[in-house]
Amino acid sequence: MNPVSLNRRQFLKTSAFAGGMLLTLSLSGASNASSKEKQSGLGVYVHITKDNRIFIASPVMEMGQHMKTTGPMILADELDVAWEQVTLQADCPAFLTRNEEGELQYQFADMGTGGSHAVRRNWDYLRQAGAIARRMLLEQAAQLWQVPVDALRTESGYVLHPSGRTLSYGYLAEGAATQKVDLADITLKKPDEYRIMGADTVTADIHDIVTGKPVFGIDAEYPNALQVVILRAAAQGTRVARFDANPALAVKGVMQVVALENRTDKYANDDPKQIGAAGLAIVADSLWAALQGRQALLQHQAVKWQVDPSYENQSSSHMMGKFRHLVAGDFEATTRKQDGNVSNAFAEAKTKLDSTYETPLFAHACMEPFNCIADIGENEATIVVGHQFPDKVARTVENLIGIDGLRVKVVSKRMGGGFGRRWEEDYLAESVLLSKSLGKPVKITWTREDEIERDYYAPAYVMRVQASLDESDRLSGWHHRQAQTRGGARDDCFPAKLVKNYHSEHFAYPNKIPTGPWRGPGHMQWTFAVESMFDELAEAAGEDPLAFRLNLMRPHKAHEYGGWGADKIDSGRMAICYEQAAKLAQWDKPRPENHGLGIAGHFTFGSYAAFVLEVSVDAANNLQLHKAWGAIDCGFAINPNHVRNQMEGGFIDGLSAALFNEVEIVKGQAMNNNFHSLRLMRLREAPVSIDVNIIENDYPPTGVGEPPTAPAAAALANAIYAASGKRVRSLPIAKHFSI
Amino acid sequence: MSNAFTLNGNLVSFEKDQASMPLLWFLREEAGLKGAKFGCGIGQCGACTVHMNGAAVRACSLPMAQVAGSDITTIEGLAYDEQSLHPVQQAWVEVDVPQCGYCQAGQIMAAAALLAQHPTPDASQVEASMTNICRCGTYVRIRKAISLAADKLASEVT
Repeated sequence: MNPVSLNRRQFLKTSAFAGGMLLTLSLSGASNASSKEKQSGLGVYVHITKDNRIFIASPVMEMGQHMKTTGPMILADELDVAWEQVTLQADCPAFLTRNEEGELQYQFADMGTGGSHAVRRNWDYLRQAGAIARRMLLEQAAQLWQVPVDALRTESGYVLHPSGRTLSYGYLAEGAATQKVDLADITLKKPDEYRIMGADTVTADIHDIVTGKPVFGIDAEYPNALQVVILRAAAQGTRVARFDANPALAVKGVMQVVALENRTDKYANDDPKQIGAAGLAIVADSLWAALQGRQALLQHQAVKWQVDPSYENQSSSHMMGKFRHLVAGDFEATTRKQDGNVSNAFAEAKTKLDSTYETPLFAHACMEPFNCIADIGENEATIVVGHQFPDKVARTVENLIGIDGLRVKVVSKRMGGGFGRRWEEDYLAESVLLSKSLGKPVKITWTREDEIERDYYAPAYVMRVQASLDESDRLSGWHHRQAQTRGGARDDCFPAKLVKNYHSEHFAYPNKIPTGPWRGPGHMQWTFAVESMFDELAEAAGEDPLAFRLNLMRPHKAHEYGGWGADKIDSGRMAICYEQAAKLAQWDKPRPENHGLGIAGHFTFGSYAAFVLEVSVDAANNLQLHKAWGAIDCGFAINPNHVRNQMEGGFIDGLSAALFNEVEIVKGQAMNNNFHSLRLMRLREAPVSIDVNIIENDYPPTGVGEPPTAPAAAALANAIYAASGKRVRSLPIAKHFSI
Repeated sequence: MSNAFTLNGNLVSFEKDQASMPLLWFLREEAGLKGAKFGCGIGQCGACTVHMNGAAVRACSLPMAQVAGSDITTIEGLAYDEQSLHPVQQAWVEVDVPQCGYCQAGQIMAAAALLAQHPTPDASQVEASMTNICRCGTYVRIRKAISLAADKLASEVT
């Protein structure tokens, strides 16, 4: 790691995020750079060397959602360079500023990643940044050649003169950095002018990945950083009553044992939220020494824990029982959304169904256990971490210990998975506090057990759906009644708007089980209930499941959407995805004995995805997943290769959770805390192939990280029903079938 | 007992008091090789997979005492040299397998060991050998890349 590298960047400052971008260039860094490193800067994210190599720093964090490739593709295309010229910088620089209210915010691109928003929020910004930089190069060439800018064009990193003469961007860059650009002169490419976007592009830093380069936070080293692991009680809320540090200190390399207190905050609904779990920090000169120290404390039973009695009734099975009781009974719930009158619809219905669907707490199980380097000085701090929101990192330091967030250097590392869990601040807060109290840089690394025991799980849901068909077998009423550990319902998603009489209500249930966002928060759970019920209704109507859905989507219309991440939800776009997934799957083709196809689709954060899955179930309830076919409408596909990759992986991730993922909590303690007891899908259980159709249209690009996951559980449950006649209404499915 | 072993072609040794230390921590903290990853510490997820005498092993659960005298290859030593990647790595690039990438070094090492043992593996051999967890769910591409790597290795031999 080179902590000074950022100082040598030259900053392209923009006065505003959206709308007009007035440019000024700060060249103060240039004179300090060594001649070897001297690069002509055109901006924060782009550096062009004299030999015409283009270095691009990713404007968005990478956690497996491929933004480190997608973001630079957008920028490079508008800059009009060849992708082969581009070299990706390893780390994502985090530039922060304060807005007029004094709040910390990103100075340039919106670096955060979550809610599949990275493309949506940066699409205009990155195109404009690339186009402005290109214009500056053109202005410089026009000045040198004494010709009007309009006479010139660019191609693959060169400015071309009508006579055939060329100048490389590398030659022009230093002078171009002083050019002033009139924003009225900036034009963005039309889609048919894209040379990089729209074409299959391989992961920009794949060489680092396949050769095992140290690109993750867990690989990062920092001068004089102490290595720390924390011994915590397995149960939430537990405190350290007393301890004997000696067994740990007897381990070579262990220097210190520090007791940490519980720290809590509040969720928006005032439930307590734990943001730092009590325990003993074992401080050592190596991670292995710290791990041995932890083991020694356990072996010698050197710590006495004080259990928090308020967790006595905090058990997941107890809560699921409560939830079932609430949704089944006649208790008053909070109405979240209501159209028409479901009671009337049910009274007049030809058919009425009443089914209850359940989903458990899901663990995040990011493959890279959490880690964070914190170096807290008197008035400044350096944090080396993989976090989905680097602005939150700086804000956390500011809030915790009062160091000005603009004096917090956030070195953002590639994340070994995020899935919403790396949105939380707990794992960085404890590093910040420990570094401050020790007065030294520290690196805290979690174990897998820490990660599962101190997760903010996906909320557990019990969802009762009553739905009716009228005389002509059209959906006439939908009543969704839900109880969950915490978190809302996705009640603005379909079938809202598609049915005249619609009522969504839920029960708040105060509890202390920590929950948080999990890849498309609530969307897969919602879809499991909705799309399972679609199949149950289709059967009641004697209709094919695909035809039932296509009828339901008519008339095709873009409805207002009040949920997070979009403002319109279009039944026509959804219908096309169902149709195309079914077409890929050859929906009507007869399948072998015991095989069945299931279909499900969903709209998540602006994108539409549908899948068909083929499974077989034998007489002994052995389940096998065979093939899947998916269609996605994510507007313009910037990198079709990675859209397909997300469609494959996101769907498999959803299948994995639907089949296996369940954390059981007893009295605040996770009963399954590592991969021997928390099963995740392996290759042998996954579909052997997933064919993907990317719908082509003129809509602007939307995200692909979360949309493919949402349909998975329902597609699987529907396929199992088609194969076996057995309807699964509760996850995890491996509790009902062998796989 | 000798404390020496071969690591990516170089003879190295460990200290006597490191005999119970898992190989993973020797690699990451002593040898500075960060390609093998810590994922679970109990040999389940395979993020730490390396080769011991050509076979895939889980470095998090292999004490140094058992490593003595063996030949260890990590992801850093898999490529023939900096310029030419191992066929499995080449296939991983061509198929563009990774998402977050954290498990991929382990997946590649598992696949390389599989292909060394079964140059043209059938589906059941692939499924039996590839037990590493990928939470991103890149399994469809892992299958494709193994098949492509097998083709590449076959054409190298002839």
